[in-house]
Amino acid sequence: MTAITLDANSKFSIFEGRTAHVRCWTYLGMMVGMAAMAMFAGDGYVEDSYIFQLFSLEGAKWMAGGGVVGMAYGFTTSKDKFRAFRFSEILVPWIDGAVLMIALMGLYTLFEPSQAMISYKDQSNLFSGRVVMTMNVMLLFSALCYVSYLFAPASFIGKLGTITAWIGVYAGGSALLLRWYESYLLMGGDIGHAPVSNLYEVFILLFCVICIVYLTLESRHQARALGAFVLPIVSAGVFFAIWLESIGQSDIKPLVPALQSYWMKIHVPLNFVGYGSFAVACAAGAAWLVRNKIEERNPNAAMLAVFPSLKQLDQLSYKAVAIGFPAFTLATILGAAWAAEAWGGYWSWDPKETWALIVWLVFGAYLHARFSHGLQGKILAWWAVLGFLVTIFCFVGVNMYLSGLHSYGQLT
Amino acid sequence: MSFINKTFKPILTRLGSMPVAILLLVLLAVASVIGTVLKQNQDQADYLHQFGPTWYWTFRSLGLFDMYHTWWFIAILALLMFSLAACLLRNVPRFIKEMKSRKGTLSDSARKHMEHKFDLNLDNKAKAIATIKASLPDWKWMETKVQQADGEVLWLRGDKGRFHKMGYIVVHTAMLIILIGGWMSVQFGFRGNMAVPENAKESEISFLKGTGIEYLKMPFEIRCDDFSVNFFSTGAPSEFRSTLTILEDGKEMMTSDIIVNEPLYYKGVRIYQASFGDGGSMVDLNLFRLTKKGNLDTVKGQIYTTFEDPYSDASLELKDFRPYNIENMAEAGKPKDFKDMGPSVDFVIRGKGLQPVLVRSFMEPFIIDDQNQGTIMMISKSGDTRDFESYSLGLDFSDPKEWQLFQAFVHRLPTDDKATQQDNLDAFRAALDEVYPDERPANLPMLGNRVIQALKVLPDMPWPFVPILKDYDQKYYTGLQVAKDPGMDVVWIGSGLLVFGLCIMFYVAHRKVWIKVSDVQDGVALQVTGLSNRNPIAFEQEFEDLEAQIKTAYEQRNEQGASI
Repeated sequence: MTAITLDANSKFSIFEGRTAHVRCWTYLGMMVGMAAMAMFAGDGYVEDSYIFQLFSLEGAKWMAGGGVVGMAYGFTTSKDKFRAFRFSEILVPWIDGAVLMIALMGLYTLFEPSQAMISYKDQSNLFSGRVVMTMNVMLLFSALCYVSYLFAPASFIGKLGTITAWIGVYAGGSALLLRWYESYLLMGGDIGHAPVSNLYEVFILLFCVICIVYLTLESRHQARALGAFVLPIVSAGVFFAIWLESIGQSDIKPLVPALQSYWMKIHVPLNFVGYGSFAVACAAGAAWLVRNKIEERNPNAAMLAVFPSLKQLDQLSYKAVAIGFPAFTLATILGAAWAAEAWGGYWSWDPKETWALIVWLVFGAYLHARFSHGLQGKILAWWAVLGFLVTIFCFVGVNMYLSGLHSYGQLT
Repeated sequence: MSFINKTFKPILTRLGSMPVAILLLVLLAVASVIGTVLKQNQDQADYLHQFGPTWYWTFRSLGLFDMYHTWWFIAILALLMFSLAACLLRNVPRFIKEMKSRKGTLSDSARKHMEHKFDLNLDNKAKAIATIKASLPDWKWMETKVQQADGEVLWLRGDKGRFHKMGYIVVHTAMLIILIGGWMSVQFGFRGNMAVPENAKESEISFLKGTGIEYLKMPFEIRCDDFSVNFFSTGAPSEFRSTLTILEDGKEMMTSDIIVNEPLYYKGVRIYQASFGDGGSMVDLNLFRLTKKGNLDTVKGQIYTTFEDPYSDASLELKDFRPYNIENMAEAGKPKDFKDMGPSVDFVIRGKGLQPVLVRSFMEPFIIDDQNQGTIMMISKSGDTRDFESYSLGLDFSDPKEWQLFQAFVHRLPTDDKATQQDNLDAFRAALDEVYPDERPANLPMLGNRVIQALKVLPDMPWPFVPILKDYDQKYYTGLQVAKDPGMDVVWIGSGLLVFGLCIMFYVAHRKVWIKVSDVQDGVALQVTGLSNRNPIAFEQEFEDLEAQIKTAYEQRNEQGASI
């Protein structure tokens, strides 16, 4: 999360140089402290109570201890003039973003209805629902802004699109965290689990991932016009999620035994890094095709000034694939590892697995076309678009139309 | 040797070529799609019903019902493996050669076209070279001396991420390793299911092969010492746990608990908790005879056996027992309201002139808002549990007195058509006096209503008796998946390499820097040029830093030199 407050002109920035370095190592130290607490403190690691333990006095001690050690290391190493701080400068905004999300989640818990008002049977009064609504509104509004930006590039509206998209990301991310917390409030804490267990939850995750991947590319490559293609894809998803909610798919439900594993927290989010990146690649491909069409009709069209060049769009599409492909590969492998542990075989030709393989082959072929055959431009733009359609089928279609071992993603 | 070269080289070249690889990949993708759309390994009768005989036999002869194990599908995978191997054999030497070759110099015309460059003039040649080498050790410097007309020119070339091309090799090798691992799993491994009832042992697994089921004997026996299930309040199972003992030649080798996601490992074989079901529970059934006598028999039965009634020609094939039946009682759209309907037994009732139907009989009456609604029974005419419809029998069959009351009432009911409402009521009162002589039962109006409901339903029942679950002694079976997979570790090694290789491919850029060091009048001129094969934006930053670093390091060296 390259934070929007990052200002390239200011002399001193907490996101650059030594400050970033020291902060980064403080964070890393705290994380080591958290891990150490899981390993050595008290009765050891118990998944359901670990988070609560973190926010207790004991957790504060471990984190502070780790933080101080990390900070000390950061200070001693920051004296070296020639040391490149790039690693820290890249990492620190992401951790900042995560901390902000957790802080927002903590803030929301104050608005949660009292325990007596919370029931499994009627979850409509949980606060996360409202935060998700905020996210929906923000993302839809952002899509509007980005599309308007194509026609009014000089105005404030483009910036507004970026800002609302970021607000949407923070709302979505913190809403998911809040759902995690809320799942422990229901049924006396018996059903607490990470919010990546059904279609509704992973849709929210997907919006956040798409927006984060896109916004990162936007800030690094000044490619704001791309938002007019990314955010409408997200908006379509938002409408789908609203529909899911309307048919009662948004309830927090207990996990089936097969999903009760730490693998779920790794496999599912990583998969969505893949899906989300492919969505951005698709948007860049679509933008390429649109720009190409405009150029063919009228090479002097005013709108062309807003668009990144064809070459840039081609690069952006590739960059998104370059993020998504390794993540998707790793996610599939970890999925296989989980399957080996839960189902007795790493590969069962389950529809979901098979479609994941097809998606992998499609994007693998994309990379070959690009590097072995030097293809660029139109064909690859179409490839990225169609590749995303295959991805959508793998994600939603398989759950809705084909049954199999992944059937917990199904609508019930 | 030349024969081999002549015969195999062209085949290798052809097989390892891109078009062949793409053809294979497309074939693999299309075949995989078929396999997902056409449900695999279902019951053959279902397929026949679904497609009709012509298509059924066409699909069957192509092996589409177990497609991922047909010879042609495996052939595609094998060809892909050879194609990968051929591609590697052809390209690896070239890649290695390219990686090794480092051209030390850069022509002026080439430099002109490059984006990243700067010139720097310093006063001391030796010091400049030493500074560069010392302050930028990451770059792996190489020196080239070129004699020119105006004297000797020194070139420094530095590289970062030279192993970038290794990424391609690693990725493709990794895929080959994964395919080999997969082949080993299929060739030397097995995977099948086993159902072990509580306190029983089993040593045979069954698995699907093609259109049939095959069995395999394990070198050990598995005994299920205990099985337990925990449920959420929604009725969904939250955890099921088996205590298993492994026996070899009757000797206990080990005992361990397993749950889903936590398998047991014994001599290369993994034993997974997969499912559970009824392992032959004993049930007591009350048969309320729908005869004139209306007597009540209690009979014993066991799940998975058939009870033959000696007094009529009816039989009950006992199918399943469930200790809980948690149902959502709320109407659609309303907040959920889960309720446990208590234990139930499923059976198919058969008999002369009877339509065989699947029945779910409950032990306890149905109670809403503390009101006893009498016993209900679920009946499915198709035999599928999804088609269950519930019927209210009126009486609470868990209380034999209500049956007695009903019988007494039916016997007293006036049979002629002239009977008035008052006659009926008198009959009911008389029946009450007989069955409840001392005290009237609570909630009499409700009981009256239920008796009337029973009067509507029971005489029309085609069965000779009403079978109601009375008592049970539950016994589970634990469903285990037993698998041996000698290729698994190979696959993991391949997978690790694959991810590692991809990371190199995508995130490591091969960056090159050339520095032309030529003597000028009062010192030395450095012409620095940089090139990266990916991520130009990051390289721009890195290259800018490079300039600053050289300058500062040189100045520092000056200061140090002065102080000495």
